[in-house]
Amino acid sequence: MGFISFIQNNSGLVLEYTLNHISLVLTVLVLSLGLWIITGLIISRHDRLAGAVISLSNILFCIPSISLFGLFMAVPGLGLGRNTAVLVLVIYAMMPLVRSVYLGVKSVDYFVMEAGKGMGMTPSQILFRIQIPMAWPTVFAGIRVSVVLITGIATMATFIGEKNLGRLIHQGITRGNADMIIAGAVIVSLIALLLDYIMGRIEKKVISPGLRYRTND
Amino acid sequence: MITLDRISKTFPGTDIPAVDRVSFQVNAGNICVFVGPSGCGKTTILRMINRLEEPSSGRITVNGQDIMSLDPAVLRRTIGYVIQQIGLLPHKTIEQNVSLVPELLNWPKSKIKARVTELLVLVGLDPGTVGRKYPHQLSGGQSQRVGVARAMAADPPIMLMDEPFGAVDPIVRIHLQDEFLRLQQHLKKTICFVTHDINEAVKMGDYLIILNMGRLIQMGTPLEVLTEPADDFVLNLLGDDRGVKILDLTRCETLMDRDRNFPYNPDSCLIQSVKPVKIALELMMKKNIDQVGVCKGERIVGVLTWNSIKEHISRVSRDRP
Repeated sequence: MGFISFIQNNSGLVLEYTLNHISLVLTVLVLSLGLWIITGLIISRHDRLAGAVISLSNILFCIPSISLFGLFMAVPGLGLGRNTAVLVLVIYAMMPLVRSVYLGVKSVDYFVMEAGKGMGMTPSQILFRIQIPMAWPTVFAGIRVSVVLITGIATMATFIGEKNLGRLIHQGITRGNADMIIAGAVIVSLIALLLDYIMGRIEKKVISPGLRYRTND
Repeated sequence: MITLDRISKTFPGTDIPAVDRVSFQVNAGNICVFVGPSGCGKTTILRMINRLEEPSSGRITVNGQDIMSLDPAVLRRTIGYVIQQIGLLPHKTIEQNVSLVPELLNWPKSKIKARVTELLVLVGLDPGTVGRKYPHQLSGGQSQRVGVARAMAADPPIMLMDEPFGAVDPIVRIHLQDEFLRLQQHLKKTICFVTHDINEAVKMGDYLIILNMGRLIQMGTPLEVLTEPADDFVLNLLGDDRGVKILDLTRCETLMDRDRNFPYNPDSCLIQSVKPVKIALELMMKKNIDQVGVCKGERIVGVLTWNSIKEHISRVSRDRP
């Protein structure tokens, strides 16, 4: 278990990289949730816009991350560092988040909304009291995918100056130091697992027990 | 009271109107059943009354007020709405589902809670056990009851019901129909009821409105429609057992002979005058006799004979020229 002794011998450095990594992921997560959930809700009400936005998110998602970091780094005002890293990762979170919000809202049973409308709910009451609560299971699936995704892709931000766990992996490769690579990879995985676990706990609190049976059958 | 005045509806992209110049009036306290084959416009007419659809032309008034002058959401909160698919909110408990309209109307919490309990009892559910459940934990019949309770929550004077008992098995359906009629006897709501099942229509309706291809073919009480169908379409819709259906809707006192003497005998076959003739017929067949005494309370008021029943049916269901 050489990677454990590597972590012990470089604990200060590893801690700094880990905290940087987590803070980057959390920043991206907060911005993405705000931005993409709202986008998803907007396009769920405008079908024509929906096609264009979802296609765009698919295309962006297909661009290799390293090239996207490189491209945005060259944009004046962004350059090396945190801003560019955050921007690129937010773009990667777009596809799973926008798509899951859109699908979640759209897949709400027609007759449930019809009943709500027939009882005198206004369009915004239908959105907030029926569509959004019923979309949560799908939305959470999207959130959990993007959390794991962001944590992984964040390692690539080391190439534009982020001092995070990606640096351990990158330097491990250039120096041929397997312990260093494994140390970086293991900690990244643990962060992803931890965040996913936290999301799972929040999910249990947010999603109504009336909807939870669907995941069982 | 609901009044429709020359209502037409043509859906965008079609030439043939789904509803074609339909006028009628539903009086307060009545169950008015819209009946006809699928695509006859019955659901469209129902949905125009709470503005889920807008008529292409014509005027609908509810208690004298043109509904186009009202905010649709406000209008709908005063009209109960039940659909076959029920549409209970799966993420809310049964209590929360029933509280929906009172909450939209900003009733105080304590009043809502009392009302929900009252309603669940009224539709035959136990508030203690069912109230905290979620819709997926209920049977089909229970869900239908919750659907009806939810529609009645804010005590709307008018209810629109679109095949409300269509999704349950025949035994539960008959049970729900009977219970609903029993409730209606003292609730006296003004009800528009859509069904494609003529038997349900005859059973539930104070008035029938028979529709075909968007047009109103005939309206009247079930007995009027059964005894004098307007045309071959109505005749077909009523089915081959029109005479037997009439016997279910005709009271013994209507067909009995008041003058004939009948030996009073407490063991003999006595039937109350308000009972349907169908029951008297059953009695005759069971006891292999040709006449039964008809009573009002303990007093005998006439005699119903097998011949008078036969003659009546023959008279009303004669093939028309």
